[in-house]
Amino acid sequence: MRAAWLLPAVLTLCAVGLIAVLPTGRLVLTALFADGQFDASLLLSRLARGATQRAIFNTLDTALFGALLALLIGAPFAFLVAATDMPLRRLQGFLLILPLMIAPQVMALAWMHLLGPSSALLGAIGLAPPPGTANPLLGRNGIILLFGVQHAPIVFITLRAGLVLLPRDYVEAARAAGMGPVRVVTGVVLPLLWPYLIAAKALAFVSGVGNFGIPALLGMPENFLTLATLIYQQLSSNGPSVLPQVAGLSLLICLIAIAGIAAQSLALRRVRFALTRGAPMRFSLGPLRWPVAAAGLLLLTAVLILPAAALLATSLVPAYGVPLSLTTLTLDNYVEVLLRQSSTVRAFVNSSYLSLLAAAILAMLAVPLALGLNRLPRRVSRMAHGTLELPYALPGIVLAIACILLFLRPLPVLGSLYATPWIILVAYLMRFAALALKPVEAALDQLAPELGEAAAAAGAGPLRRLLTITAPLAAPAAFAGALLVFMSAFNELTVSALLWSSRNETIGVILFSLEESGLSPQASAVAIVTLLVVVALLAALDRLGRMLPAGVLPWR
Amino acid sequence: MRTLLTAGLMLAATLSPAWAQEGRLVLYTSQPNTDAQQTADAFMAKYPGITVEWVRDGTPKIMAKFRAEAEAGTPLADVLLIADVVTMEGLKAEGLLLNFPEADTTGLDASLYDEDGAYFSTKLITTGIVYNTAATMVPTSWLDLTKPEAKDQLAMPSPLTSGAALIHTVTLTDNLAEGWDYYTALAANGAQASGGNGDVLTAVAGGEKLYGMIVDFLPIREAAKGAPVAFVFPTEGVSAVTEPAAILASAPNADNAKLFIDFLISEEGQQLASSQGYIPARDGIDLPAGYPARADIKLLPYDAAAALANETANKERFGEIFGQ
Repeated sequence: MRAAWLLPAVLTLCAVGLIAVLPTGRLVLTALFADGQFDASLLLSRLARGATQRAIFNTLDTALFGALLALLIGAPFAFLVAATDMPLRRLQGFLLILPLMIAPQVMALAWMHLLGPSSALLGAIGLAPPPGTANPLLGRNGIILLFGVQHAPIVFITLRAGLVLLPRDYVEAARAAGMGPVRVVTGVVLPLLWPYLIAAKALAFVSGVGNFGIPALLGMPENFLTLATLIYQQLSSNGPSVLPQVAGLSLLICLIAIAGIAAQSLALRRVRFALTRGAPMRFSLGPLRWPVAAAGLLLLTAVLILPAAALLATSLVPAYGVPLSLTTLTLDNYVEVLLRQSSTVRAFVNSSYLSLLAAAILAMLAVPLALGLNRLPRRVSRMAHGTLELPYALPGIVLAIACILLFLRPLPVLGSLYATPWIILVAYLMRFAALALKPVEAALDQLAPELGEAAAAAGAGPLRRLLTITAPLAAPAAFAGALLVFMSAFNELTVSALLWSSRNETIGVILFSLEESGLSPQASAVAIVTLLVVVALLAALDRLGRMLPAGVLPWR
Repeated sequence: MRTLLTAGLMLAATLSPAWAQEGRLVLYTSQPNTDAQQTADAFMAKYPGITVEWVRDGTPKIMAKFRAEAEAGTPLADVLLIADVVTMEGLKAEGLLLNFPEADTTGLDASLYDEDGAYFSTKLITTGIVYNTAATMVPTSWLDLTKPEAKDQLAMPSPLTSGAALIHTVTLTDNLAEGWDYYTALAANGAQASGGNGDVLTAVAGGEKLYGMIVDFLPIREAAKGAPVAFVFPTEGVSAVTEPAAILASAPNADNAKLFIDFLISEEGQQLASSQGYIPARDGIDLPAGYPARADIKLLPYDAAAALANETANKERFGEIFGQ
């Protein structure tokens, strides 16, 4: 009996160690130890540099204000979608989730083309800024704006989870005591939601700290560097000789991110109110129903549809700066990136392949891993959980550095993984494990334990129970998790920006490279294609959502 | 039988060059993606048995990638085709380049290739001034960029990202009477130094900046496609890099690499460079449309040995002036 308990536990802990402890540990080792001796002088000398201090300040500044803006956008939507009778709620929820699924670099590119002096859309209505006007999105304010848009879904999801659990009785009691709807919201709902608000803000902050695509496109052209872009610039311009220094910088981002994560879990630990079952509370908007819905849709259109249209416009002109008209319109950029340039075609194949592999492997791992974690003693399980979340919560650039440190020198049996696609795959597996695990855990929680007990009583062994009962029932959730992993990996740039090599480019890398070579229209064409892929996948996932248990898809 | 075999071998030898034509070639280049693909396509059309795979990034970044792979013990690159000779000199001194003295250098001025055959210049890329056609001032001198009209309106590539930009900085500080003070004046005038030449093009063509320091072929080519930009060769003269190509000592496909080098500097390869909008390195090839006669382009000299010795110091000085 003891052995039967021990083996899965050991396997589970091994998996957690490989996925999460190994990279983080390696990073700490390089950053703080030189030749086996504790030596923080390198880190401290980095900290003393003006560029590092500016980057730290910029990181905190943009992430904090970005999170605040995300809260201002996400919170009202969460309330309207989860707790009112606003029409078109599900559509608005779905639209609001989209930025999370769109690559940050695509988002940044789209907004730049929307608001710059050569904006085809603004130009058509005579509102484009005159030539010689700096793009308003470049630099601090643009980064904050896009952090707000990109991370509003995180706030939305977190707050909605809280709103759905809010005891309806409190609200009804307050109404019965004669409180008006506004006072109910400010006096009852808000205080109860407070922990969720803090958690949402902390999560959005952590995402901002780790974001690379947005500050890379909006900050680097102006030398406005955050820690993530500073690390990228140092390493990509100087090569492995600066690895110890950038490991120190990575540790710094780690600490900032961990502070955010700690704030979030502390906040959620304070959630005390009892869970109620039954219908969630609903406020009636009365005659304001349609005007509110229209305002919401208008805002979502401005935030999503307009930038996408600007991106499309740029992808259709022969050279950047040429106004779009029927005579200038061309599909050459699509032909160039989809049919002619071997690197772009290869990048599409690579990204699909790597994302598919990562999704498939993680989907298969998720069920046994979730079960294994469930079996562990409570405290160990919680710690293992927290550890697994690390590679996903920590900035991707940190994980990339850790992977270079782990795999640059040849390993005994495997050889060096650097300069092969496998290093990217390993990084994806580490990064997205938590993403694949979540839906499966949600589904397993709702699984009636009687099924397993009945099978056990009928003499089915643990492996057989796993294969014939648990796995099939958890399969839809595992598939949903796999799709989430696929989309995230397909879109990512942060990890592969440092790990790619010849023949192993990803779409994110190619888009960034095209933009950097001054080929904006081609970069836009690549971006439009990825947008189409993501929207198609999301639609498929939404369809699948009808067959999934509640809580598996974040927007349902 | 033996004579038959010998005859067969001789026949085979006349039909194909001495080295293999099958397999792969990995090119690390700082050319823009479209040009890299065209060069690869033209080479593959000539040698259908060889598949060219290319990787593009700014010269400093592509060198960092190369060094990381060397450290991992998995060298991938065969040929480097990067902005400047200075970087090549450094690599040659480290013994990282493969000498190819047999290369066919017909029509190539002796100053344009290494005497040991370590690297070969493939074109001439000058750095001048680009302006958005909506700009009021048409710059003619480098000093125009320090005028109030250009206040906060100048974009330039950073030597940290672009190899051509580093040579350009060295050249201007060597030749202008103001020396490094010229760059201090630019910084005081709100010039923005970041990214590579592509970023400068995007900023000026998109109207976000009105002026830029930039390599010649980008704006000349985009202007022909209708972009609102024009290129100026300033009166003082322009700096130039020669985009040299070299075979790496660690090249997995050195034989194919030799074919590629010969192709780049052959008449056919040089015609291609000209058709892409570059000034060809080889004599007797016409300059592309949009350029003045070759004799009218005034090239400013620079001290390559000093540039190599002071590379880090120059980058740091530049970084200090522009607060990087």
